[in-house]
Amino acid sequence: MIPIQQPGQVFDAVQKTKAGAPAFCTNFFPVESKLRDWIDHGELFCEEHEGAAFFLKKDRDFGHFYFLAADMAALQRTIPAWSGLKSERMVTDLVGNEAAVERFLPALEPAGFRRYTRLQRMARIGRPETGGAMPVGFAGKADGRAALELIENAFDRYGEQLPMPYEIESAIENRQVLAARRDGVLAGLLFFETQGLASTVRFWAVADPFRALRVGSALMQHYFQTQNAVRRFTLWVNSGNENAIAKYRHYGYAPDGLVDQVLANEMINL
Amino acid sequence: MKLVAEILKEIRPEFDFTASSDFIADGMLDSFDMVTLVATLDKNYGVSIPGTDIVPENFQNLKTIEALLRKCGAKL
Repeated sequence: MIPIQQPGQVFDAVQKTKAGAPAFCTNFFPVESKLRDWIDHGELFCEEHEGAAFFLKKDRDFGHFYFLAADMAALQRTIPAWSGLKSERMVTDLVGNEAAVERFLPALEPAGFRRYTRLQRMARIGRPETGGAMPVGFAGKADGRAALELIENAFDRYGEQLPMPYEIESAIENRQVLAARRDGVLAGLLFFETQGLASTVRFWAVADPFRALRVGSALMQHYFQTQNAVRRFTLWVNSGNENAIAKYRHYGYAPDGLVDQVLANEMINL
Repeated sequence: MKLVAEILKEIRPEFDFTASSDFIADGMLDSFDMVTLVATLDKNYGVSIPGTDIVPENFQNLKTIEALLRKCGAKL
C-alpha cells in the first residue's frame, strides 16, 4: 500500500482500470475537495493489481475500503491479494438499489467481509411548514470539540462515516453546523451539506440530558427555514433505527430506494 | 423514444433541467443518479455508455448528455 500524494494518482488509477472495461465497477465516488482533504491529512493509501485498484482511507482506529475493478470477476480474483485484507480493520460501503448492492456480495463475502449494518436514504421535496422554533444558531469555533463528542457518542463510527476533527472545524467555518445551546452547553446540533438545490443532513443529534425538550425539532425547523433555495432534502439513516425513521417521516422524508450495505472485514469483531 | 429532458424529469421530477447549465453544481444530479440515468439512457437509446464516459463532465447539462449519446451511436 502506498500513500497517495495527489488527486491525480487516484484519477490515473480510475482511468487505467476503466480503460476498455465496459463492466467497470466501483464503490469509490470521490469528490475532489474531499479527496484533497484526505490526501493533505495523509489518510489515503492505494494498492494496484491487474484489473483493479484498492484504496484505504484511514479513520480513527480502522479504515474505509474502496475498490475500482474492470469487472466483477476481476474484483473477485484480486481481492484476496490485497495486502490490507488480513492486517487492517476495515469497513466498506456498497451503495445503490437493492439489486446493485446484492451484485457485489459474491465478490466481497468470500474475502471475509460480513454484513455489519445497513443504511437507507430518505428524501423529501420542498420545505415543510415550520414555525415556533426555539432559538438556534450556527455553531462557533469553540463548539468544535463538543460537537465532535456529541456525534461520536450518538453515531456508530464503523457504519456512519463520522467526521474527522478537521472536517468539523471546516464545517463550522462554512456554517454547515447548527447548534442549540441550553444553559451555555451544546444541547444539540444539525450538521448539513448544501449544494445548489439539494441539501443533505449528515448528523442530527441531541445530548442525553436535553432529550424531550424539543431541541431536535428546533434544530430541524431552523434548518428548513434557512435553506430557502433547496428543492430536495436527503439524509441517510440506519435501517434498524425505527425511532429516527419515524422522526424523519414526521418531517416529510420518505425512503427513496437507495441503500448502503456496510460490510466489515474479519479484523473487526462484530 | 423519450427525450433526455423527459428521462431526467422522471428521475428527479422536482427539478427543471431545462433551466440549468450545470446539473452537478446545482445539486440536481449526484453520482448515484448518474448510475440510474446511464441505465435508462442505455435502454431508451439502445446504446452502451462505457464506464470511461461516466464522469461528471458528460452529465453537466442537456447538451453534454446529448453529445455523449451521439458519441455512443444514438440517433437523437
